[in-house]
Amino acid sequence: MAATTISDLARPSLAKGVRLQSDSTMGKSVLLYPEGIVELNETAHEILSRCDGRTLGEIICELAEEYEADSNALAADVRNTLSDLQQRKLIEFK
Amino acid sequence: MTVPRPYALLAEITYRCPLHCPYCSNPVAASLCEAPRRPQRGGYNNGELTTEEWKRVIREAAALGVLQIGLSGGEPLARRDLAELIRAAREAKLYTNLITSGIGLDDDRLCALRDAGLDSIQLSFQSDESSLADEIAGARAHERKLDIAPKIRAAGIPLSLNFVIHRRNIDRLSQMIDLAERLGAERVELANVQFYGWAFRNRAALLPTHEQVDRARDLANAAKARLAGKIDIFYVLPDYYETRPKPCLNGWGRRYLTVNPIGDVLPCPTASSAIPDLRLENVRIRDLHWIWQESASFNRFRGTEWMPEPCRSCPQREIDFGGCRCQAALLTGNAALTDPVCEFSPNRALVDAVLCDVNSANGRLGEWTYRVNPTTSSRSESGRALG
Repeated sequence: MAATTISDLARPSLAKGVRLQSDSTMGKSVLLYPEGIVELNETAHEILSRCDGRTLGEIICELAEEYEADSNALAADVRNTLSDLQQRKLIEFK
Repeated sequence: MTVPRPYALLAEITYRCPLHCPYCSNPVAASLCEAPRRPQRGGYNNGELTTEEWKRVIREAAALGVLQIGLSGGEPLARRDLAELIRAAREAKLYTNLITSGIGLDDDRLCALRDAGLDSIQLSFQSDESSLADEIAGARAHERKLDIAPKIRAAGIPLSLNFVIHRRNIDRLSQMIDLAERLGAERVELANVQFYGWAFRNRAALLPTHEQVDRARDLANAAKARLAGKIDIFYVLPDYYETRPKPCLNGWGRRYLTVNPIGDVLPCPTASSAIPDLRLENVRIRDLHWIWQESASFNRFRGTEWMPEPCRSCPQREIDFGGCRCQAALLTGNAALTDPVCEFSPNRALVDAVLCDVNSANGRLGEWTYRVNPTTSSRSESGRALG
């Protein structure tokens, strides 16, 4: 799905077999999946730790509030990150 | 040199296996203990590691930075304590992947493994239909695999299929991909055989022809495009037909470590048989941290200092790491030479000669020798002093 077409009502969740975990060696979050590891930057971590049934709109609101950021700019970032992860089959939308 | 942290542990928990695939990468040695190069000191014995010993290895690996564990063999289901090992891995926060033939798996066992925290299963197939598949496995296994695959899905465990591709099954690549689709696999690995262990012994019977390889590559690429977003297809090229070597292990002692059934710790699973002068460290004597950081075996080909020409001055040296040490050892007798697959290797002619033999054999198929299990003592003979 192209980033711009993801609805605010979509509920992103980790794809089957994908686990979000903190890596104490690097002090970062990682996504673990069959035979692969993705190191996450802080933005991706903040987004993914909220992918638990919340809608995209709710996630954007929360992040905008927490970081006191402009929600339009932030929405584009969040959509791009999720779109990228979806193309790699690491998350899905419900 | 700063020692990097490892990401993945391959735990070869047993070499016992009900299948006899002639391409197995396990050692051909009749006994795991015939090599007289292990530390002959107290604490060492030649039995499979116990449950408690494996649990300690798992904890030590996690403390080193390992994030993923592949439980493999042999057939890992042959160990009755598999669920307990998975639970220990999960407690250590490792992502657990079971690499299995599926023989020995039923609904009850599947539930037990899932409840212990198993994250993913990689199920091997020898071909797409039973007559050829069972001939390759040297056992009646195919129908049982077909039976267990939907049960794995029903248990909610992500399923990958793995096919080892070689001369006898490469022409059925599209049927194998169809099977993966039919079984609802999330991922399929079509891995051309790599020549180590039994596969090295059976190379003349297993190496595909140039024509076969070209056709298979096109088929795999077309299937990749067709199934994008549905099934991830990984096609592993046959490296003898390449001009540059594979970045084996992403560098020696850099990301991976293997522990074999008797506790030897290896930078690469095939190193114990391919590199006879590699001194093996054992988890019964040393902890993993020391072995990873300090041992001669893990430091032997770390970084680029060990490299000969043409690797040493090659711009690719930190991309392919000089290729595969085991392949260099098996083909030239010297593990410290450039992988002969590389077009710049002074030994490339060794690979070309093998290709020439296979491609000029007028379709004649070589015979293969089926794998037999290397022996470990059936139970730990505790207190037995060696040396």
